[in-house]
Amino acid sequence: MLGNLKGLLVTFATMIRKPVTYQYPKEHKPIEDRYMGFPVLMWDEKVEEPYCTGCMVCVRYCPTQCMTAVMKDNPLHADGTSSRRKIVDTFEINLGRCIVCGICVDVCNFDAIEMSHEHELSKYARNGNRSDLGKLLEMGWAYQQETGWRPAKEAAAEEAKAEAES
Amino acid sequence: MLLDVALLVALSLTLLTALSVVVLSLVWVERKFLGRIQMRMGPMRVGPFGLLQPVADAIKLMSKEDLLSSWVDRVVYWVAPLVVFVPTLMIWVTIPVAKDLVIRNLDLGLFYIIAFSVLSIVGLVAAGWASSNKYAVLGGFRAAAQLVSYEIPLILAVLGVAMLAQSMNLVEVVNAQDVWVYALIQPLGLVIFLIAGLAELGRTPFDIHPAESEVVGGPFVEYSGAHWSVFFLAEYINTFAIAALTALLFLGGWLFPGLPGGNPIISLGVFLAKTYLVVLVIFWIRGTYPRLRIDQLMSLGWKVLVPLAFVNILMTGAYLFYGWPAWSLSLMSVAVLAAAVWGLSKAMRTAPRPEVTVRIYNPSSEAGHAG
Repeated sequence: MLGNLKGLLVTFATMIRKPVTYQYPKEHKPIEDRYMGFPVLMWDEKVEEPYCTGCMVCVRYCPTQCMTAVMKDNPLHADGTSSRRKIVDTFEINLGRCIVCGICVDVCNFDAIEMSHEHELSKYARNGNRSDLGKLLEMGWAYQQETGWRPAKEAAAEEAKAEAES
Repeated sequence: MLLDVALLVALSLTLLTALSVVVLSLVWVERKFLGRIQMRMGPMRVGPFGLLQPVADAIKLMSKEDLLSSWVDRVVYWVAPLVVFVPTLMIWVTIPVAKDLVIRNLDLGLFYIIAFSVLSIVGLVAAGWASSNKYAVLGGFRAAAQLVSYEIPLILAVLGVAMLAQSMNLVEVVNAQDVWVYALIQPLGLVIFLIAGLAELGRTPFDIHPAESEVVGGPFVEYSGAHWSVFFLAEYINTFAIAALTALLFLGGWLFPGLPGGNPIISLGVFLAKTYLVVLVIFWIRGTYPRLRIDQLMSLGWKVLVPLAFVNILMTGAYLFYGWPAWSLSLMSVAVLAAAVWGLSKAMRTAPRPEVTVRIYNPSSEAGHAG
């Protein structure tokens, strides 16, 4: 019987607490740095070209087969400005089929593909999320600027250097 | 003659409009309040703070298709919502919302209100029966059992107030509370009235007859669209009526110490504030308790509330007969209330767990079985 009154107090206490709701389209939950969104391609700003060489390792490992890639000879390599002999020509991910498993990122040898923060990609058309090279690089550039991303090898090398100095 | 009819029509329309607005506000307040109790926000999208959500709900309900199943008893089926709705409207004829703001100040106002509020049970049973649906029939029977048994403590609690005020006229009942409100003189009566009132409304924790998980909506299963919304409207008007009666009978209506009771606007404001306070308590209870089982409901009604209500009447009678001071009745009332709470908590306590001795089979200790 007295427990009933206690119950009333409990509901009163929760009533005066702040609601946990986020008013979604108006107000977004903050995205953490390590948030795993859809995969996008990274842009090498030192050479002004994508990191991706179009080697197709991600395409072969993709469980949903949502990607395609075509490789070409790198014109910048002929100039001597780039160390990459081959470069991506066309690249497409059907993000509507992607299951955000991250295997493409794991298998990439060049740190060219990363899980970005993109997640609000609802479209009306079934194939509305087929993203080509330009779109993927654009989303990747936004991600790079947002998080200050660097390729893992570069980051590791810098860290080792800093450690050796100290 | 013509003027009288015109006045009547105008008053009825005003009443209906005011009550509709009240129902809209109640729906909003309930959803917001329950949302906050569950740490949600409640409706937020339609209008500022979701204020227009009830309007959107109403439009949706009105535009829904009114389905009719083929075995329905048509006449009873269409009349039942009216039988529920009209009494809920009729009792507002004599409920004063401010000092002189009452359509017809009846001398037997309380009697009239109780007489009309009982009628809506017929509508619920009829709705259940006419739907030719097993859940609806069960719900209708549950409604009959529940509402009839809780009518008794409700009437007895009201009777205690009528004895104190020496009147059944609601205005005089309120005027008799200008020194001490009856909630202080008769707290037992207030508790009985609130609990029985909740049961009369069929609101949680007494929503046995529309219980979704048991009888999937009770008498209202087959109703949809506008006809269902009539039941809905009746339920909320009844909620407001019980809250208003609690405010009038026990909380002193439009009287508030220090405020002029004669000013119609101030007294209306005080009355509404008290009524909405009671409404919030009703919603608060809804947000807290689970539904009672039907046997618990019946035993609470007949074994607890009815005897307590009679004790309340007896105490009030003795108090009036011997002319004791007012604090003696409140003291007795609180004592009986405390005793009831204590007794209930003793009765509800489960038996202590029996001590269990664990015997482990040990072959070597039992010679016969060894080896």
